Amino acid sequence: MEIIIKMGIKKFNIWYISSFLISLVVAIPIITVFSSFFETTSNYTSILKDTFLYDYIFNSIYLLVGVLFLTFTIGVGCAYIVSFYSFTGVNFFKWALILSFAVPAYIYAYSLTAFFENYGTAFSILKNIFGQNNYNNSIPKFDGMLGAIISISFSLFGYVYVLTRSSFHYQSQNLIELGKNLGFSKKKSFFKIILPSARPAIVAGLSLVAMETLSDFGAVSFFGLSTLTTGIYNAWISFDDLALANRLSFYLLIFIFGLFILENFSRKKAQYHSLSKGGFKSKKIIYLKGYKSFLAFSFCFAVFFLSFLFPVLQMLYWTIIFPKHFIDLNSLQLFINTILLVSFSSIVLIFFAFISNYGNRLSRSKVLEALTTFSISGYAIPGIILAVAFITFISWFDNNVIKLLGTETIKPIFIGSILGLVLVYFVRFYSLACNGIKSGYLKINYSIDESSYLHGFSKFKTFTNIHIPYLKNSIFLIGVLISIEIIKELPITLIMRPFNFETFATTAYIFASQDLLEAAAAPSLFLIFTASIFILITSRYIVRD
Amino acid sequence: MKKISLIIAVLITLSSGSYTNGHSKEVNIFSARHYDSDIQLYEKFTAKTGIKVNVISGKDKALQKRIIEEGKDSKADLYITADAGRLGAFQAKGMFQKGASSKAIKAVVPSNFRTAYWTGIAKRARIIYYSPERISLSDLKGMTYENLADAKWKGKIVIRKSNNVYNQSLVASLIKNNGKKATAKWAKSLVANMARDSKGNDRAQILAVAAGEADLAVANTYYLALMLSGKKGPEQQAAAKKVKPFFPNQNDRGTHMNISGGGILKHAPNKANAIKLLEFLLTKEAQVHIVNNTFEYPMIDGVEPHELVAKMGLGFKQDLKTKVSSYEKKQADALEVMLAAGWK
Repeated sequence: MEIIIKMGIKKFNIWYISSFLISLVVAIPIITVFSSFFETTSNYTSILKDTFLYDYIFNSIYLLVGVLFLTFTIGVGCAYIVSFYSFTGVNFFKWALILSFAVPAYIYAYSLTAFFENYGTAFSILKNIFGQNNYNNSIPKFDGMLGAIISISFSLFGYVYVLTRSSFHYQSQNLIELGKNLGFSKKKSFFKIILPSARPAIVAGLSLVAMETLSDFGAVSFFGLSTLTTGIYNAWISFDDLALANRLSFYLLIFIFGLFILENFSRKKAQYHSLSKGGFKSKKIIYLKGYKSFLAFSFCFAVFFLSFLFPVLQMLYWTIIFPKHFIDLNSLQLFINTILLVSFSSIVLIFFAFISNYGNRLSRSKVLEALTTFSISGYAIPGIILAVAFITFISWFDNNVIKLLGTETIKPIFIGSILGLVLVYFVRFYSLACNGIKSGYLKINYSIDESSYLHGFSKFKTFTNIHIPYLKNSIFLIGVLISIEIIKELPITLIMRPFNFETFATTAYIFASQDLLEAAAAPSLFLIFTASIFILITSRYIVRD
Repeated sequence: MKKISLIIAVLITLSSGSYTNGHSKEVNIFSARHYDSDIQLYEKFTAKTGIKVNVISGKDKALQKRIIEEGKDSKADLYITADAGRLGAFQAKGMFQKGASSKAIKAVVPSNFRTAYWTGIAKRARIIYYSPERISLSDLKGMTYENLADAKWKGKIVIRKSNNVYNQSLVASLIKNNGKKATAKWAKSLVANMARDSKGNDRAQILAVAAGEADLAVANTYYLALMLSGKKGPEQQAAAKKVKPFFPNQNDRGTHMNISGGGILKHAPNKANAIKLLEFLLTKEAQVHIVNNTFEYPMIDGVEPHELVAKMGLGFKQDLKTKVSSYEKKQADALEVMLAAGWK
């Protein structure tokens, strides 16, 4: 009996409790999103609702299928070519293809529209080459659903590319030789051996893409598409129709849980694969020559051009022909504000993700594990919905708890403050930090902890002297990934920010929303440039690992 | 770690210069109307009165939600947005207080464009654009919004999506004048006349007519002037010249008007300053600044619109019969009618 009690006390130590609290804090807005929809107030006819509902669901499905198809083709295609072949520029493409992470989907959407619209940039180019004519009808139009699919795909395919590439990287030559011995053609061994063995990585990449696609607001609302996300926004925020919002979030939840199951499933497989390390033989790189080298180069260059150069050139073009917007921009202040948010949030996120992971590791509690998994779902909830849920929760808490205690209101501390902004980022990007640290931790064997305790190290000392140095690279990488996400983040910043506080993202949005895409070009360029620097810093980690 | 915290401390100090520090000589604006030129205007106001103007701009409904949730503790004084229906909807939620119609404001803003709770700051008209190459002015004689449903325009009209608030207000005004049933029929015929599924913003509709995709477009007035000004580049300037504006319903109630405007929030901590700012926005100086930057029509008499807007036509009859404050009540019906008609 005494032993059990002792074990119980041991289990509920400070690490356990702080880990529990962190997960709970992250879970609160998520719970608010779904619980607030169980009140029923509704003012729309059911016929109208059904029209909405089907539109939202089918548009989300179309979007998802389109984006998954494109990101799969581009991401796996590029990863395969740069991993198995050598050709002119291959070392450049290995990291250059990651630069697409610097371009958020909404900025891609601005570029796409500006280039292909009637009398847009494409028209100007044709006119300057071939003279005056009406080219508008022969220029393809990439707007609506197609525009959204393209914009989102090119800004997200990097997930599939990076994960698939690292999986190819560790693929053993033995497998490929097995195919050869069985008399497989190149095509057959690609489809029967190489692709299936990278499946867990591909699925993990695609499920990240899927979650980001479902939660996209910027590109989708720019093209005026009605998806589940814009639907929840409209139903909840515009019409106060909680019943419809409830139904829509229910469908969104189904999507998300489906993805979670898929992702977890593939993760388990990935662990299984990495175990079979015996007899690893690094694979032979095939050197391409002649037209084959040219084809490989062209494919990679096309992807690099479309995903990164194209939006950058369009923005650069505008900045050059409308220099006034560039000169008027208070870029230093915007940079400081952006970097402030980035550094503040990434430190907070990594710090707490660490504690939570360590707590999980010490306690090995199923309850805690489940709560952590649930709190990670914040990633799949659209930022704008999360931000409004946070505001709603703070307001409810203030009115029902704080006011009863008779203390001052806490609203100004959390709403319209840097602290509040960072807190919502925290909920949104917690999964990124948490999963990142977790995967780093999985590589540290439990026996290391035990020998540390045997050496008389306390839990805290084990944490600071063993784990942190061990995970230095993971921390660095995750810090940069979070930074890139926050530089690009728009809807949360827009609604949570203090007075007179702008970032590159909000400035670009504000110009774009008054139909001045030319003026949005300069802040967009700065945004892409800042994010690119972060990417370049980490590219050697991403490419290698 | 020490280095990092030092950097953060420095950054916070650097950026905190721009926050509100709670001093009484200030006014806080939540704005869903984001013109850069508005910021210049606020700077002028500060120079004149010493009252500091703090702004948060963002998406209309999300800002409203934040104000509602902040409740009594909200620092927001003034809410500014485009579209009378949006202002009306926020008023219906009880979020404004009386005060937007001070004596000075009543004296200059016509009663159609204000209520006790909010006032218009600038006007815009939602009009028809046509291609003079393919449509002669005589074809358009006596043309009304109602006529857009005529079979002779089959496959010739472009207009943006039904989720657009300017369309919702236009259709709301039709429901107000012709009833829901007639407007439902009208919407069905209009959808049948569309040259393509609705997409793009107002400027894209005008460009579609210039490019020959359609013969008629429905869009707000300031978009054409924006293109004609060359601010969108020489290509669009040339394209805009291929399109002519037409002001519908001149023989009956007049052309559909809308506003951008603002109201004083229920829990405004700086109400007096907010009224001062609204009054300032309606002075001649501010109105000249607005019309020359946004190409809207002035709200007060005695100010000329921008030259390019004036060239589009000045003496047209505005619909003063349908009060802009009535849009809000019919916007939900308008959306229903449009969706039922298959208006994307």
